[in-house]
Amino acid sequence: MKQILLITDGCSNVGVSPIVAAANAREEGITVNVVGVVDQGAIGELGAAEIAQIARAGGGMDRIVQSHQLSHTIQMMTRKTVVQTIQHAVNRELRQILHSDANSIEDLPPEQRSQVVQVMDELTETSELKVALLIDASASMKPKLQAVEEAIRDLMLSLQAREGKSEIAVFHFPGRASDETVMDLDWTQDLSNVRSMFQRMQMRGATPTGPAIFKVIEFYQYDKMKGSDPALRNRPETDGMLGDYVV
Amino acid sequence: MTTSFNAGTLLAPGTWIEGKWHHRRYRVERLLGKGANGAVYLVRWGRSMEQAALKIGYDAVDLQSEINVLTSLAAHQTKRERRMLQSASRPFLLDVDDCVLGQIEVQFYVMKFVEGCTLQQYMDRQGLEWLGLIGYRLLQKLTELHHADWVFGDLKPENILVSEFGHVELVDYGGVSRIGRSVKQFTERYDRGYWNAGSRSADPGYDFFAFAVLWLHVVDGARLRRLSTEQLPQTRQPSDLMALVRTNVKLKPFESWFKQALHGYFTSSDDACAAWHQLAIQNGRRTLSPPVKGTTPGWLKGVFIASIVLLGSTLYFMLQS
Ligand SMILES: Nc1ncnc2c1ncn2[C@@H]1O[C@H](COP(=O)(O)OP(=O)(O)O)[C@@H](O)[C@H]1O
Ligand SMILES: [Mg+2]
Repeated sequence: MKQILLITDGCSNVGVSPIVAAANAREEGITVNVVGVVDQGAIGELGAAEIAQIARAGGGMDRIVQSHQLSHTIQMMTRKTVVQTIQHAVNRELRQILHSDANSIEDLPPEQRSQVVQVMDELTETSELKVALLIDASASMKPKLQAVEEAIRDLMLSLQAREGKSEIAVFHFPGRASDETVMDLDWTQDLSNVRSMFQRMQMRGATPTGPAIFKVIEFYQYDKMKGSDPALRNRPETDGMLGDYVV
Repeated sequence: MTTSFNAGTLLAPGTWIEGKWHHRRYRVERLLGKGANGAVYLVRWGRSMEQAALKIGYDAVDLQSEINVLTSLAAHQTKRERRMLQSASRPFLLDVDDCVLGQIEVQFYVMKFVEGCTLQQYMDRQGLEWLGLIGYRLLQKLTELHHADWVFGDLKPENILVSEFGHVELVDYGGVSRIGRSVKQFTERYDRGYWNAGSRSADPGYDFFAFAVLWLHVVDGARLRRLSTEQLPQTRQPSDLMALVRTNVKLKPFESWFKQALHGYFTSSDDACAAWHQLAIQNGRRTLSPPVKGTTPGWLKGVFIASIVLLGSTLYFMLQS
């Protein structure tokens, strides 16, 4: 399973629309979640609308929270997205595997539902998961970066407790050039790597959210070429497990 | 009934809920409580209009997952255990079904109605002398779960109901997780990971840690709140919690237990349960409260000095006028 988690505090203002970018990610099988961080005042109508649209296009969720709620929020979002991804996959397969005329899990009679959810819980815990965190590092985000770093550490702690292989990577934008996206951390399962990532970061004004999302899509593609695409390997497994558990 | 119902809508007393699969009918009496996963109502059902608690879930999968845990727990109970529990004649889980409310279909389950108030209310009303017994009974419940290969996970005051003479019951099995897996649901303040005291993997020690913070919250809430908000996330540590324990008259007698729980030293649930039991009895037999030695943590000294200054200036102005 592949996710992008975008953490931002306002509107994009350079390059391709982030909504287009998120729709592209979705097409690649990557779910895009968005968290807006506001500490004082509001994020503005435009910012809030953009955040909601990015998440909708990316098939994910959006939340607007204060810094101190960040850890809890991204932890919850990541987990919920895993469950939903599995749920969508299960809903698609219900007719074929269970020979049921149900369209969704809710339509199943209680006994069958119980068995299907058991399989889902199993997959929630054991499936491979990759989360690319994409951090808006425009000037206004500066006071929030401490909280962002803490939230990433907290997410890693939760992921480490999973049975399935779970990795995160961290990017921020803009880099030195206003259209540049910088990788701070390559795929890792190691908590100790998540420390003082953003210390030497230069904060700049522009917010090229769209191009940054594309950069991460590219990164995932490169990953796939190396032959480690979990989504491709997970599918037959899902089928097999449903077949095994539910008769 | 309104047409714009959603799972968060409050159901009016007198509303009937009829299951789609099993066709049992329940009449809503009142709301018992709401949480992150659903709303629980006191209902009456059957010919003799018996009381039960009915939980309407916000999400079908989450609710089913919780139901699966309850089913599995019921299957694990031996006949003897069932006879011993006061719930002997009936299982905890009574029915699982769906129904249509307004226009939307919701999922619900029905369980035994647990009488009582929350742990916080009970301690506020009945006094902290109940700490030893209630703690012991709670540990017994947790140990029972651990022996069945589960960890409770989301231990907090809202999920503990206490009835007359300190009988406790755990409600809300949404956080219950298999030992060895990740903890499904937790609340930051009681979470071992939050305090940099260990992982979020489900092991008995996870519950003991939460149990320790739980009592700090109930007995010394204000200081705990200050500790968790004033510190930087990366500097939170179990020894700060220990400092609170050592300087609290009510918790001090249990110091050795808290130390093992907060630092993850307990190796078996039976040991943890027995150790608490021992301390509870010893503490009750004492006729004098133990003296509290002041090993005040650094950050507390600051707070203390601030209050002294405040006291001083208040008195000064009072005496002036
Ligand atoms: N069986 C029960 N008997 C009486 N009250 C209950 C029962 N189950 C839950 N409650 C009350 O309802 C509240 C919410 O239920 P809970 O299961 O904890 O929901 P959530 O999973 O959403 O937190 C609880 O805090 C408790 O006060
Ligand atoms: Mg609850």
